[in-house]
Amino acid sequence: MYRHSVSAHPWAALSRAGGFALVWVVLVGPDLVSWIIGGPFVIAATLASLRLSEPRDRTLSLPSLVGFVPYFLWESLRGGLDVAARVLIPRMRVDPGNRTYRLRLRSPEARLVFIDSISLLPGTLSADLRGDLVTVHALDVRTDVVEGLRVLERRVAALFGESLEPVGDRTTAESSTPARGLVSDPPTHPEGRQ
Amino acid sequence: MDAVQLLSGAFLLVGAFFFIAGTVGLIRLPDRFSRLHALTKADNVGLGFIVLGLMPLAPDLFYGLKLVLVWLLVVIAGATGAHLIAKRALRGDGEDVL
Repeated sequence: MYRHSVSAHPWAALSRAGGFALVWVVLVGPDLVSWIIGGPFVIAATLASLRLSEPRDRTLSLPSLVGFVPYFLWESLRGGLDVAARVLIPRMRVDPGNRTYRLRLRSPEARLVFIDSISLLPGTLSADLRGDLVTVHALDVRTDVVEGLRVLERRVAALFGESLEPVGDRTTAESSTPARGLVSDPPTHPEGRQ
Repeated sequence: MDAVQLLSGAFLLVGAFFFIAGTVGLIRLPDRFSRLHALTKADNVGLGFIVLGLMPLAPDLFYGLKLVLVWLLVVIAGATGAHLIAKRALRGDGEDVL
């Protein structure tokens, strides 16, 4: 089965092996003897990645990436300052709670970047993903969580060259709540056992 | 002590501040989800500043690249780990230790 995936995607296998080898060289340094350990692990990592993530055409927009990096760093800094400011004052300013956000990104890698980035942005933590619904834990539910998520989702969509469908009627119908597209706390997991 | 060392020291102190803030959050925050907030964000920013502070002291470009790679791997592992812990805790289908 492993051999099959390598022969089916020789270029993907080669480029991934090259990438992992580069990571090894950067981490360990250009010491030839280190390849006794590094070699088998590069091969193992390549085989594992071919199995876990089927090679196919991915488009990563370079201009969007250039824009995404400073945005990500700036939001990370804000996230760190936000949480520091909340916990260091004598009376903590926290009001934790869950929110549900309907995801519009399609490809698995775009979703992964979105899910991981949520946790690094100010005040939000991705807690669950079922189908299209992301459960976002907010450190302070009184803040407008959804606006930040929308901006992030747009950025990630641009990164992977995806176009987001406009926010549907189902979500705008709930616009009586302060944030559009949010379902309030209780029905976090319609199908989950609570 | 020259300017580079001063700058480096300042960044390291800022990094340490974020780690302390993260630890305070871990101790003070009321539930495990909120604690994950403090951990992921403080790790990300704290380690980021530590790496920034060490960068001017790096002997060569390779070393600097290694620092950035370490930061990147920690950020990815931290965010992914936090998501998985939160997911388990929320669904309540794992072994409950607390």
